[in-house]
Amino acid sequence: MFHWLEKNPFLFAVGVFIVIAFAGLIEIVPNFAEASRPVIGTKPYSTLELAGRQVYIKNSCNACHSQLIRPFKSETDRYGHYSLSGEYAYDRPFLWGSKRTGPDLHRVGNYRTTEWHENHMKDPKSIVPTTIMPGYPWMFTTNADIDTAYAEQLTVAQFFGVPYNKPVPMKDGSTTVVKMGKSIKEARELALEEAKKVAADMKDQDVKDAVARGEIPEIVALIAYLNSLK
Amino acid sequence: MNKLYVWGIIITAAMLGATYVTVGYQKGGLNGDIVNMLAIAGAVALVIITVFVVIKYVRQMQTDTATGELADESWDNIGEYKNPVPMGWAIMFLGTMIWGMWYFTVGYPVNAYSQIGEYNEEVAEKNAQFEKKYANIKGEELVNMGESVYLVECVACHGLNADGNNEIDAADLNKRISAKSVKHVIEHGSNNNLLYQGSMMPDRNGLLNMATGQVITDKEIDAVSQYVADGLQNQNSEGAQVFANVCASCHGADGKGIEQVAPNIATWDEKLIVNVLDYGKKGAIGTMPVMDRLNAKQKEAVAVYVMSLNKGE
Repeated sequence: MFHWLEKNPFLFAVGVFIVIAFAGLIEIVPNFAEASRPVIGTKPYSTLELAGRQVYIKNSCNACHSQLIRPFKSETDRYGHYSLSGEYAYDRPFLWGSKRTGPDLHRVGNYRTTEWHENHMKDPKSIVPTTIMPGYPWMFTTNADIDTAYAEQLTVAQFFGVPYNKPVPMKDGSTTVVKMGKSIKEARELALEEAKKVAADMKDQDVKDAVARGEIPEIVALIAYLNSLK
Repeated sequence: MNKLYVWGIIITAAMLGATYVTVGYQKGGLNGDIVNMLAIAGAVALVIITVFVVIKYVRQMQTDTATGELADESWDNIGEYKNPVPMGWAIMFLGTMIWGMWYFTVGYPVNAYSQIGEYNEEVAEKNAQFEKKYANIKGEELVNMGESVYLVECVACHGLNADGNNEIDAADLNKRISAKSVKHVIEHGSNNNLLYQGSMMPDRNGLLNMATGQVITDKEIDAVSQYVADGLQNQNSEGAQVFANVCASCHGADGKGIEQVAPNIATWDEKLIVNVLDYGKKGAIGTMPVMDRLNAKQKEAVAVYVMSLNKGE
């Protein structure tokens, strides 16, 4: 009956591959689909936060900082609740990192503030005298790329159905809406509006002036992103 | 002598020689160190065993002739002997099957392990230990616990000496309140959940000076801010007058606050500090994050530690 298969070894190999791959798929895909669904309380990144995320990636923060809290008491005591896979639903790419030269940042928004980040990014040693983290002073003068962040937002909204402008359930039972501009002009305005809130808590006069002029320095976007990590 | 044995001896000698030379030129080399010597002995044994096992099977291939009773079946004229399964092999085969059943049903059942389950057990165990060990902690020990928590959780902003950090505007915990903060609260009002419920302090437009019947003035604000920041000590100052006429109705004549009405602004107290840890705070000196990951005992310890910092003054 299957004699023809034995006579076609290549076809046979392809058939074997398909059968084994199918077995793998039905084991992996359902679990994966369940685990990658966003958990309640995870919301998409706003334009400014996404721009900050790109600053984070650009400066390779993930080379020294992980964003993955493992379920060990020593970690959860220090960083907060262990990470859940659904919390990364809107992360593209993931920034889990593989090495902790610095501390984990997955929930840094819970226990550090705008003021802290501002001074720490400018001169880490002034806050933590023994740190080996370098300063990032240029972030205070370079402007963040809001347009690319908006492009990314549009892309993920269109291709992956990321729920912008839609109610997202939060932990306390309420819902929140993360706004995405309808045009690039509106996106810039939204980002600036958010940047003003961050800059209000900052002290650097140059940054405040820049935001008042309608510019968004990288540091403002980065702090917005770090504060969103909860 | 078979050519094969000659080659075996030549290869053995060559490999042993190479081992000797390689090890001899290494740092440390053949210095009689027991670990080095064991390693060399192992290498020698490996070389000899390998060579002679290879010779045995090559010889067997060269000379052996198969014997036994042929099975009836023939596949394209390729026959098969009806040799019994070797006993050792059969025992291992059956043993593996039995072990496999034990492994999946009794030893390590499928789905019996959960990483989160292990985490939960670990946390429950550690928390129980903590509860038991520190159930009756008090006095000096509690202060020490507070200091150790402080050095992990608080030091990043409030600094090693708890004197705050002007760079990031963390409060100086060596005193109750700074003049800057008093001024900010008077000017903007406050609702920082310092008393659990959201009892609002009005801003300056709601603060009447009972002596003059007017809203509090800039000059009075400066005076009372200084007075409160100095710990309400200087009773003859203008600030003391303002305090008595404006603030005392809610915060009490001594500034120690009134239950359910207004918080203590003369000294730190435990409830106040625990509330700040629970709810965070936002004022003239920036944002204090919520530190609700500390347990109740740790919050109490931090409170006692902060209060101990103020004892000397």
